[in-house]
Amino acid sequence: MIVLRMAWRNVWRNSRRSSVTIAAMTLALFVELLYAGLVNGMFKDMEDDITEMDFGDVQVLHEDYLKRPSLYTVVEDHEAIMSRLDEAGYAATARLMSGGLVASGEFSAGGAFFGIDPVQDTKVLRLNTAVAEGEWLDVADPTGVVVGRGLARTLSLDLGSELVVLSQAADGSMANELFTVKGILRSVGAGLDRGGILMPADTFRDMMVMPEGAHKIIVRRAKNQPLEEVTAAVTALAPDAKVMNWKQLSPMLAQMLEGVNSMIVIVYLIVYVAVAILILNAMLMAVFERIREFGVLKAIGYSPFQVVSMMVLEGMIQATVALGAGLALAAGPMWYLQNNGINVGNLAGMSMAGMTMPAVWRGDYTLGVIQVPIIMLFVIVFFAVIYPATKAAWIRPVEAMRHQ
Amino acid sequence: MTQSSGKPIVKLTGVTKTFAQGGLEVKALRGMDLTVNEGEFVAIWGPSGSGKTTALNLIGALDTPTSGQVELEGTDLSSLSRKALSQMRRDRIGFVFQAYNLIPVLTAFENAEAVIALQGIAPAERKTRVMAILKEVGLEGMEHRRPNELSGGQQQRVAIARAIASNPAVILADEPTANVDSETAEKLLSMMARLNEEKGITFVFSTHDPRVMKYARRLVGVVDGRVDTDRAKNSGEE
Repeated sequence: MIVLRMAWRNVWRNSRRSSVTIAAMTLALFVELLYAGLVNGMFKDMEDDITEMDFGDVQVLHEDYLKRPSLYTVVEDHEAIMSRLDEAGYAATARLMSGGLVASGEFSAGGAFFGIDPVQDTKVLRLNTAVAEGEWLDVADPTGVVVGRGLARTLSLDLGSELVVLSQAADGSMANELFTVKGILRSVGAGLDRGGILMPADTFRDMMVMPEGAHKIIVRRAKNQPLEEVTAAVTALAPDAKVMNWKQLSPMLAQMLEGVNSMIVIVYLIVYVAVAILILNAMLMAVFERIREFGVLKAIGYSPFQVVSMMVLEGMIQATVALGAGLALAAGPMWYLQNNGINVGNLAGMSMAGMTMPAVWRGDYTLGVIQVPIIMLFVIVFFAVIYPATKAAWIRPVEAMRHQ
Repeated sequence: MTQSSGKPIVKLTGVTKTFAQGGLEVKALRGMDLTVNEGEFVAIWGPSGSGKTTALNLIGALDTPTSGQVELEGTDLSSLSRKALSQMRRDRIGFVFQAYNLIPVLTAFENAEAVIALQGIAPAERKTRVMAILKEVGLEGMEHRRPNELSGGQQQRVAIARAIASNPAVILADEPTANVDSETAEKLLSMMARLNEEKGITFVFSTHDPRVMKYARRLVGVVDGRVDTDRAKNSGEE
């Protein structure tokens, strides 16, 4: 207790120096908190976009689909698999996919066609919420399609525009259809953006003469259910198909998202090391000024551990004050960034490894996110203090008390 | 060699201490033999550079001898670890320094409590003991003052209170009267003499102040790092 009391009073005996140190810690924490939340928020939104708009968590595919994607590499018994998934409590939706030529007016482009169950899809994914203009697919409107933003730009499509789709059907015949644009997506992913044409599954089957099977079954997991566990469970339910989770389907993306934490920690370290140097300097000055005092403490029986404890406590007291000040300072901005975010303007839709920058960049300020810069502050302070503290602890009392 | 009849508290046997100073070897102690018994009031005196402070530092486990043996209550200090030496200083030795050496951020009470607070004594008992000691050294009512709010004499009283609070085997006082006026020096010395008489606390002084020698009941003269004279004073002798 007396060690804590001395530490507390030592912090305030040179209040100007302590205030500067605390201010530096506060500023560093403030910056780190905002930065951590914003970066996590951005990548969380991107990850959510990937899983909720496109990939799902797990996909069931034909064994050869990834090596040889074609109209014919389909999961034959997709209805039976979906029924088993439903019984096991997994939300799942089937996707039909093909490609071909799309033309509107004088313009034409390559297109990626997606056959979607307009109702079931909304129970599994959030792609319907990404319709920026117009409406989502409707089974009652079989020729109404939703197109990607990039394709709409390329073909100068507006709501109500007509477009012609040309491809080769499963039976080798010419597949062609005239569609009307009933919705345009916001940017959700590079593939969908550039050439995506979403149409009701029945329309796709009619056009492509493909009465059976599905190219992929997209499965979502319950919140907090481990991805690997779900992958294994779905594999058991679809033993003859290829089951892959989104990280396996897009390893580069997964690595990038996992690399976010390293990126954040590197920035933490850069900022905190600067603060640590300041703390180290302040503490070394404190040790130099108090050499005689440390000598006395050692002489009257304080152990090196008690001297180190006192110095570490001095650092921790300053860090605790900085924590309070930093949180108080950051609370308002964190609340604003979490609830309103930053409108990124022209950066919206910018693609990074298949992920798309959201229009509004929101912070993610969960306990899990903010605890990291806080814990790191205390760890850095500890390491910054430990050298001067050890110097003080191993001071020889006789020499220290001679110090003027 | 003159000694009291109590059991030996401090024993120096053939102690030497050599310092390196500016590239030169300085022999501060050249084979000192000294025994201080329980309850003694001893002044180690001699000219500057004679080795008296070095001897006190060795007795107080603040420094280690180059050769020879320093024993405190029968324990060879060279056999103790750093941790054990810290505990020895905390529990068995009281220090009173020339420059008082109080902790500036602590009050008089807290300074006096600073050592026993480490000994695991309950706060209530600590308070009772420290308040009694502060009263005994004449600082009643000043317990909340910080060192910068006390005179030199009062600060030295706090240092004495700190030294005796832990009931040490010996109190080592290095020139305790050097920084105070004559009147205060007299008061401090008479107080320490009273504590020695009434409580049987062993005091060892390092000094060249004649006032200390007046109060001491045994005078150990040190010259060139060796005990030159050692005599007990007769009662009434000044």
